[in-house]
Amino acid sequence: MIHLKKDETKAMVAVHGWSGILLGLLLYAVVLTGTAAVFAHEIGAWSAGHVASRSAFQTPIDARIRRLAAITPPEYREAASLFEIGDHGLGVFFHRDQLDAKGMPTERGIYYQLDNAGRLRRTVQGFSEDIFGPRNDDALSSFLVDTHVRLHVPNPWGLLLTGILGLAMLVAAISGLLIHRHLFKDIFTLRRRANPVLVDRDRHSVAGTWSLPFAFILAFTGSFFSFFGSIGVPVVAMAAFGGDVEALSEAVFGNPGTPDPRPIAIGNLDRVTADAIRRTGEAPTFIAIENFGRADASITTFHNPRASDIEPVSLLYDGATARFERAKPTVGTRPSAGGTLAGIMGPLHFGNFAGMLSKAIWFGLGFAMCYVTFTGMRLWVVRRKAEARSLAWLERTVTVVGYGLPFGLVASAAAFLVAMPIGSAVYWTTAAFLIASGAAILAGALVRSNETLTRLLKGATGAVALMLPLLRLTVAGGPGWGEAVAAGQPVIAALDIAFVAAGIWMLHGCRTALRTPDRSAPIVARAVDA
Amino acid sequence: MNRNRFTPAIMRDQMEAVRPRSRRRWARILLAGPGAVIVALTLLAGMPLWLPGGAAGIDNLAFPLVLAPLIWAALFFHACLDRSIARVALVAAALFLVHGGLIASRFIGQAPVTEKAG
Repeated sequence: MIHLKKDETKAMVAVHGWSGILLGLLLYAVVLTGTAAVFAHEIGAWSAGHVASRSAFQTPIDARIRRLAAITPPEYREAASLFEIGDHGLGVFFHRDQLDAKGMPTERGIYYQLDNAGRLRRTVQGFSEDIFGPRNDDALSSFLVDTHVRLHVPNPWGLLLTGILGLAMLVAAISGLLIHRHLFKDIFTLRRRANPVLVDRDRHSVAGTWSLPFAFILAFTGSFFSFFGSIGVPVVAMAAFGGDVEALSEAVFGNPGTPDPRPIAIGNLDRVTADAIRRTGEAPTFIAIENFGRADASITTFHNPRASDIEPVSLLYDGATARFERAKPTVGTRPSAGGTLAGIMGPLHFGNFAGMLSKAIWFGLGFAMCYVTFTGMRLWVVRRKAEARSLAWLERTVTVVGYGLPFGLVASAAAFLVAMPIGSAVYWTTAAFLIASGAAILAGALVRSNETLTRLLKGATGAVALMLPLLRLTVAGGPGWGEAVAAGQPVIAALDIAFVAAGIWMLHGCRTALRTPDRSAPIVARAVDA
Repeated sequence: MNRNRFTPAIMRDQMEAVRPRSRRRWARILLAGPGAVIVALTLLAGMPLWLPGGAAGIDNLAFPLVLAPLIWAALFFHACLDRSIARVALVAAALFLVHGGLIASRFIGQAPVTEKAG
């Protein structure tokens, strides 16, 4: 335990409170959508009714890639990226590296989208930042991820904003640890029969203390991801490579070798995927082909971490012969401390290193962080409301965002399920979120009491959450539980149950609140001071 | 009008005591806020120039990139918690000058910084 002097503790309490209250509302939005995004892949399968359970890389891809290479203009055949899309379909991006209008390195090429039967569904040509947008069948999961990563603010500003939020969370987590005078006592103190606000304070303290290490890891890795491309790489490239970002990228991620531009057909990709699956025990998540169709071509397969490991795996193959060369770290050409440190940042942030178990733990701890952020803001406002009545607007804002955001998210999910069959899910998923948010703001302005507003938003969220499984089955034409389980997608049934449980929980909370008398401000303030 | 003529002596003493405290507080805020950001960015740019490259020749690039948020947090909390504001300023200035100097010498010398993997 760390013992600070009285004035240092006072400074830390101020830092903890202000770091939360200044950016807490945005931080809450980022943490809540990030918590949901832990299951982005599963939400994508649930919402679009994906029942294919075999990876695209477990099916023959070699002939498909050769066919696509044949119709691709030679200037875009410098490199190819292969990855899964939709219902285990295949995305193939033939491209070349070049500079954009601002002189920043980017990729330009042709993006082919194939379904899981290998049929070409769509072709898009352009710069990578323009062509990789949400599709009709993944609009909901894309919306969640985009909100979490950059709050829909254009880059680099969105990344900078979420990076600053990550730093605010880091400050709140460290100062939260420093201000605990009785850390071990606080972990177990829950006065259930005390004043409601004291109960809230105890819950905030307990949830915050237990999830402190997790908050620290999430804030650290999250701000790393936000600042990595937007600030870190340009600054390091400026100092170490005279501003040449591509040279930095090549030094860190490249596969150095002697250039050999002789034209030679690419090796058998089915042989590569079969060998990679045999060596790692699972299908690749991504395949990168450099110098496609040349003698010096190389193929790298990327995989999730092995069981009981946290570092992702990647395998390097000779592109011309499809012969396995070596296992390589995801960062750097050979194992190193820096490469390992950079490599584990992803699994630590996404919680995908031990399958569903680690994802469930990350989801639970993320939910605890949402609770800590929200209750922290409420406690801050309640403590000061008695001193400054003008803070009533802030209390109202906290309620609108705290309960309005989940309402907006379930409304966007409902709109996705209705709009996906008619092909307009990309538009309506976002539009429904904005409409629901507007309705929550309007309710915040019109409803008299904060308690009534809370009940209204909780009730609306619970009702929409209960409707989601019905909408999925009836309007979106999704698979039933039997079909989903038989196809190896029990997650569809699990998410249905989760939405029903969440809906009942919200409605129950709403009903309980109706029976509880309103809390009076003086009692609340006294309780917080106690 | 000279306000001091009409201010009781005890109040003048209190105001004199408050003024340096307020100045220290603002110095602390500046060092914890923009100061910590500027020094962290300078360290991010300067560390690749002296850190060893390691087995893969990339440690000098990877460590500053990964640890940048923690470096900022360390500078921020140092500025908040160190009782001596002069020490905070001294540490920040030393880090800034050393790394700023390294960056400047790099631009003058234009020497390569990546090491061959050993």
